[in-house]
Amino acid sequence: MFYIHQTSCISPQQTFYNTAIDDLETPVNNRLHAVEPAYNDMPKNSLRRMGKTARIGIGAAMPLIKQVEGFNGIIIGTGNGGMEDSVIFLKEIIEYNEGLLTPGHFVQSTANALASQLSLASLNRGYNITHVHRGLAFEMAAIDTAMLLRENARNCYLLGGVDEISSYNYKLECLDGWYKKEDISSGGFYSSNTTGTVAGEGAVMLLVNNDKYNAVAKVVNISTLHTIVAMKMQQHLQQFLEQHINTNIDLLLSGENGDSRLLAYYANAENLLKNDIAVARFKHMCGEYPTSSAFALWLACKLISGVPLPAHMLKKGDSKTTYSNILIYNCHKGVQHSFMLVSKTE
Amino acid sequence: MSKVLITGIGIISALGPSARENHTALRKGICGISLPDYLHSRYAEIFPAGEIKITTETLKSRLNITDNSVTRTTVLAAHAFEEALDDAGLSREQLTSPNTALIGATTVGGMCLTDELYRDANDKGMNSPFLDSYDCSSVFLYLHKRYKMNGLANTVNTACSSSANAIMYGARLIRLGMVTKAIVGGADSLSKFTINGFNALHILSPEICRPFDSNRQGLNLGEGAAFLVLEKEEDARNKKVYAEVKGYCNTSDAFHSTSLSDDGEGPYAAMMGALVSGQLQASDINLINAHGTATENNDEVETRAMRRVFGEPPVFTSTKSNIGHTLGASGAIEAVYSVFNIINQEVYPSLHFTDIDKNIGLSPATTYGKLPIKHVMSNSFGFGGNCTSLIFSES
Amino acid sequence: MEKTELKLLLKKQIIEFLNLTSLKPEDIKDDEPLFGDGLGLDSIDSLELIVLLQREYGIVIRDPKEGRKILVDVNTMVDYIEQNGTK
Repeated sequence: MFYIHQTSCISPQQTFYNTAIDDLETPVNNRLHAVEPAYNDMPKNSLRRMGKTARIGIGAAMPLIKQVEGFNGIIIGTGNGGMEDSVIFLKEIIEYNEGLLTPGHFVQSTANALASQLSLASLNRGYNITHVHRGLAFEMAAIDTAMLLRENARNCYLLGGVDEISSYNYKLECLDGWYKKEDISSGGFYSSNTTGTVAGEGAVMLLVNNDKYNAVAKVVNISTLHTIVAMKMQQHLQQFLEQHINTNIDLLLSGENGDSRLLAYYANAENLLKNDIAVARFKHMCGEYPTSSAFALWLACKLISGVPLPAHMLKKGDSKTTYSNILIYNCHKGVQHSFMLVSKTE
Repeated sequence: MSKVLITGIGIISALGPSARENHTALRKGICGISLPDYLHSRYAEIFPAGEIKITTETLKSRLNITDNSVTRTTVLAAHAFEEALDDAGLSREQLTSPNTALIGATTVGGMCLTDELYRDANDKGMNSPFLDSYDCSSVFLYLHKRYKMNGLANTVNTACSSSANAIMYGARLIRLGMVTKAIVGGADSLSKFTINGFNALHILSPEICRPFDSNRQGLNLGEGAAFLVLEKEEDARNKKVYAEVKGYCNTSDAFHSTSLSDDGEGPYAAMMGALVSGQLQASDINLINAHGTATENNDEVETRAMRRVFGEPPVFTSTKSNIGHTLGASGAIEAVYSVFNIINQEVYPSLHFTDIDKNIGLSPATTYGKLPIKHVMSNSFGFGGNCTSLIFSES
Repeated sequence: MEKTELKLLLKKQIIEFLNLTSLKPEDIKDDEPLFGDGLGLDSIDSLELIVLLQREYGIVIRDPKEGRKILVDVNTMVDYIEQNGTK
């Protein structure tokens, strides 16, 4: 599909300035907040009106924007980008009884604010889009990018997946039963046997093209599915694996998140793979959010380029020094499923 | 690469709840904009809007939707979706095939329930049934589930160009052979949220909007939904075909969060790119369905960019003078209107235009007329500089 | 209120309203243009400042273009507030 050349990640872990994922940051009040950098190189005056999605998204993209001569478009996936500003603006509407309101939060409330600010920061007038398909928003952005690279083989694109924990979104999802009611330390995360998980956030930015030379990793295939039926998910994964029968998958990055309702899907994925394939988990690092699979893809790139797999990630099997073919399986709220195969470039 | 053909259309707008009613009203030059009756906002008495004069409950019962978590945006989407399905004559097998994609677009999504969201998000009173319905994707996740679809599903939000991008995404999936059919479109409903937002930006017109007129005072909001069934040429043999999705281009203006650059760099590049992608010359375009919001900035910049592309631009109109600006639905609604232009070889009057703006120096078509139309360009430009131009052609 | 006092208050309000967290009141000169090369504010900010004038000083500006004449620098804003403020 495409080759990843540069990666950047702002997450709840030490992933931005350097990658120190052995030392685990743990959730506070069932939330894993992103560690935000100093943002020294942001365009003048731009930070003050940005919501967190835009801030961490641009913060993660800036090193990439500065490193390359140029790219041909910006493709963003975000599940709830703009939500915080939406609800702040909403609050103003109610509190001032629809009086004269400041437009700043309204302007930032649209999900495309990040992609738009990125085009301003990089003066990029190319393709610019924001995919918001909840738990598959990043996958839709990645598939879009793969299509662009089939249409324009020599181009290079900035692909990102970004979401924030907004206090409002957290409240809504809490009411809807998606977060654990009991306080959970990172250790008890997966063995809690209760419903719900911990909230997370993060921004991953990738520079991708069709050029194998010097690439960090190759995204070989991405497939998505909507179903609540575990059997259908299993059949889908089976077909996916049959397409890659000659690929020696050596690690499953599982999006398991401690929610007992989703265990069956993740168990299916583990059971379909050969017994000797190691299984690693990542949601205790980034928390649950719609584009968390982008964090998984960033991790896969790191593991493929030789960053050792931290012991806290390993669920099953032995840690190897490097991995060549990583399958990422993620399930969002028991409805949206994604399968990504990432390989080392020969 | 396969041609991408339009084989079904469905629409609901202030001009009526069907393609037939919309077509008739366009021909007659009817304006569906008035002070809203159902919108709960103090601005309902001040700003006219393109409101669909049918309650959510009535629409729900017509569609047999009993689920109480469904919002008005979703109901409008379902209404247009069903009409498009019927029109294209898709069988259950075709609809549920893994090779049939659903690409939707919206900007308001479930936030049309402004007061409910405020109460839920601030923990005031009982939880509403809408907790899972506020985001944009809820609209299309609902359709995907309701119609038991199994193909790729996506939701796009690029503000006012959203559904133009949904059409483009679906067309590209087909052209690249990733699916054989795509049902593409968008929906948005009037809301307290957007009317206050646009008012804060001082771009709502207290009168009925007058695109391109020297006395235009801003835009009117509207609501609606439209879907198009796109099929790969080989799949559409022996079927009724309306038009071809011939060209498309998405660009960024990279200038400002809510206004377009003076020379319309983004709009210019989108129109030029659409011509290149459709392998057409500027002179091939017979009609432009302009973005034409009737804001001072848009109409001036859009026409300037049109001059850069076309020299003397072809006939152009703004159907926002009929139905207001339907935001995330507008690209799809205007695609359906472009289909009407092509299959009937006719131009519908752009309404409420009387005086040429000296900064524009151009007049939209203001009367109904027959015109040989092979290619229609449809422009959609959104906040954040998201510009998309589409070209629909006679098949 | 003394003019200097009003200027200081207005600068504080501008900083708070526009979230110019990197600035202190003394960083804004009385005659420094608010838009363009000076403070570098944009058209959204001008709409925000119109809301500031209404909420803090009871000044209603209906046409944003009229606002542009008032929102030149701190001096012009203070002059206008002194003449038209109702709070």
